[in-house]
Amino acid sequence: MADTTLGTASGTRPGLFLRNATGLVKAWSTFDAFIYSFWSVNLITLGLYGMSFVYTVPDGQVLAAILLFGVLTTFLVITYAMLVSVMPRTGGDYAWQSRVLGGGLGFVLSITGWWFTLFLWAPIYANILVVQFFGPLAYTLGWTGVAEFFSSKTGIFVSCLIVLAFVSIVVTMGMETYARIQKICFWIGIAGLVVVCGLLLFASPQDFQNAFNREATSLFGAPAGAYQATIDAGSKTFAGSNFGTFAFGPLLLLLPWLAFYLLWPNWGATLYGEVRGAKDIRKPFWSMFAGLWVTVGMVAVVVILINKTIGWNFYQSANAAYWNNLFAVEGAVAPPVPLWPYPVMFAGFLVDSHIFQALLIIVMGLWFFGWAGTLFLSSTRVIFAAAFDRVLPSWAANISAKRRVPYGSLILMIVPSLVISAIYAYRPDFTSVFLDATAILALTFLATTVAAVILPWRRKDLYDASPIAQYKIGGVPMITVVGVITGLFLLFMLYQWSFNSDNLYGTSLQKTPNSVIYFVATYVVAIVIYVVARVVRKRQGIDLDRIHHEIPVE
Amino acid sequence: MPRIFFATDLHGSEMCWRKFLNAAKFYDADVLICGGDMTGKAIVPIVEEDGHFTVTMGGQTQTVSHDQVGDVEGQIRRKGYYPLQMSVERLHELDQHPERRAETFQVVMLEGVQRWMEMAKDKLGGSGVRIFVCPGNDDEMEVDDVVRKSEMVQLGEGQMLEIDGFTMISTGWSNHTPWNTHREETEELLGERIEAMAKQVPDQSRAIFNLHCPPFKSGLDEAPAIDADLKLLHGGRALRPVGSTAVRQAIEKHQPLLSLHGHIHESKGAVKLGKTLSINPGSSYEEGMLMGAIIQLDPKKGIKSYQLVNG
Repeated sequence: MADTTLGTASGTRPGLFLRNATGLVKAWSTFDAFIYSFWSVNLITLGLYGMSFVYTVPDGQVLAAILLFGVLTTFLVITYAMLVSVMPRTGGDYAWQSRVLGGGLGFVLSITGWWFTLFLWAPIYANILVVQFFGPLAYTLGWTGVAEFFSSKTGIFVSCLIVLAFVSIVVTMGMETYARIQKICFWIGIAGLVVVCGLLLFASPQDFQNAFNREATSLFGAPAGAYQATIDAGSKTFAGSNFGTFAFGPLLLLLPWLAFYLLWPNWGATLYGEVRGAKDIRKPFWSMFAGLWVTVGMVAVVVILINKTIGWNFYQSANAAYWNNLFAVEGAVAPPVPLWPYPVMFAGFLVDSHIFQALLIIVMGLWFFGWAGTLFLSSTRVIFAAAFDRVLPSWAANISAKRRVPYGSLILMIVPSLVISAIYAYRPDFTSVFLDATAILALTFLATTVAAVILPWRRKDLYDASPIAQYKIGGVPMITVVGVITGLFLLFMLYQWSFNSDNLYGTSLQKTPNSVIYFVATYVVAIVIYVVARVVRKRQGIDLDRIHHEIPVE
Repeated sequence: MPRIFFATDLHGSEMCWRKFLNAAKFYDADVLICGGDMTGKAIVPIVEEDGHFTVTMGGQTQTVSHDQVGDVEGQIRRKGYYPLQMSVERLHELDQHPERRAETFQVVMLEGVQRWMEMAKDKLGGSGVRIFVCPGNDDEMEVDDVVRKSEMVQLGEGQMLEIDGFTMISTGWSNHTPWNTHREETEELLGERIEAMAKQVPDQSRAIFNLHCPPFKSGLDEAPAIDADLKLLHGGRALRPVGSTAVRQAIEKHQPLLSLHGHIHESKGAVKLGKTLSINPGSSYEEGMLMGAIIQLDPKKGIKSYQLVNG
């Protein structure tokens, strides 16, 4: 017979008597959850990649923009933490949107973001792997042929295949094993970052210029004076940038670029249905908040050190020269170093040893491998949720008996990703589609935010019973207030992505017809899937409307 | 042909029980099956002193008047906890004496189950709807006696019951858990318990196995990994299969038409294990949401359709 008492709640006077019962566990470590969130707003992979585009807003003060983005994204974090607390459901955005906005709308809005748009992220991850790992490592080791292969179309496609294989292996291993890998990558990666920061901190600008000139000749065969030549190459299409310049308008224009890596502290929210204790708002909030702000702090340090040692104008000129030459911008010329300007590699140049430089790139590569595995993890959960609701076929949620591999959802992610990867590699005229990958996910977040704003009225029962019902600002539910702020923030960025008159982000609707066609098509496909599911299920005697209708209590 | 509504792991949530009873009309179901773990996990003391009442919920202490106590009790029951009015002296007595707490828990749990049985009779008496309940591993053995005495609700535990041409066997026993609850045993004994019922089923193609514990490695049994101190590992994201190998073996051996499970609240799903459709509808009792499964049986097709719902 079980021991039927477990003790009392803390405090001098007990407020609760518990008995021994299944599922009563102690709280999970906020640090463990923080790591997942921290990886989602990855400073090195997504961060440095995203920041390499800020040259497009030369008067934008990036440090202030990062801090402002952190503040605004905190409202997103609060919104999601509150939703997790009210409805900790596997499927996250899909579950919240379906239950608040309605099944059809929820399916279309969330599945386009968490399923169809995630196809686009596979080749983006692959490109990051090339520019931050394969390319610099191969050049540093003197394997010029390998480096050139990975910069070719087929090389990019091969990198896509490597990413998809890695992600599939991670999903197959399961989260417990990957969480261990993430922790190892976290600590070694942090150690690598400390080395990078230390090198930049203790070196002078002249040290860096000398080191860059030396390695540009040694590794890439560039003529002497590559540092100045890079600035000159950039100047053909770029007017230069001063780190100290501050203007509010350009600062705001930086936000959509920063979204590329800082908008995702809530990436793990789709998994919270599987987390006991998620109803306690403090846990998901602090996990996501810490992930966001630790990254914001680290980015600030890295940016300051880049400015101090590498030189802000040089760094932005190198970015402008690289991207504008790649995108065949009129007047652009090739920079003397043909690689993407990777600050980690630049920091490595400060030590005159190719072995050390290669080791540093490998160590910092763990920022990729500790992070990339989460690419499809959230997507598989959304697919599960849709399959359980019978909107998708039941096989989509199948798990193999032996190794517990969710092969149904994996097939639904991998196969289209292969096609999209091939388009990415071999059809550069579709580039704008990939630049839109951030915007479509932001649109999904916006729909969830709308659901959060109206939750206290649309699902009053759930809201009133939740721990967040006690939080009000001026008599208005706090989730509504923070949801409105989050929504305005997302709307501003969506407006800029869609309608910026200078096509600053390469995604303005008028200038990117391929992108418009692709995304309209994804929404049409999502609508068709839902309508077909309704018809087919009705013939089977299943009413999809019933899933979300609450049974009367009295 | 029977249309079944199955829900499980209500854990004392009176709101979910009310919804469970109303599900018959809401989903046009003529058979209601509650899969176990009916009783709550906690008592919330409502302490009377100096003419008012003090209660702590969600970490916040509030003081209410006598007139407000009814509302507070309703809020507590809604979450699946047991409200209990008491004096300061009684509070300290329960705090200091585990055996008194155990006695008190049993009293409030059995009172709660008794109240639910009466509600079932009031709500569905004479409606033709059949209700089956099979207490789970978290329910004390005395719960069975209360259900057994009900005029409206039939006890499932250890029984082979006929449902409009289909046969249902039930048990709320599970394999061992870290919590050492009331109905746990080794896989071997659990296998023998199930086999004793299963071998009597006349036609497995028309059989329903109502087994609280889900089959091992079925996807219906994935629970957050914990350490020896019951602390969640890896931010609660690491999942491990914790179902029963005996339940899996029974399903694979007998291949019933349908198997119904609960126990692991987070592991909602429906999977095919050979010819058997196995369902765990999950549980969100704390939110007052009734997660359930509607299964339309058919004399020819066996299962005509099924759907997981969040009422």
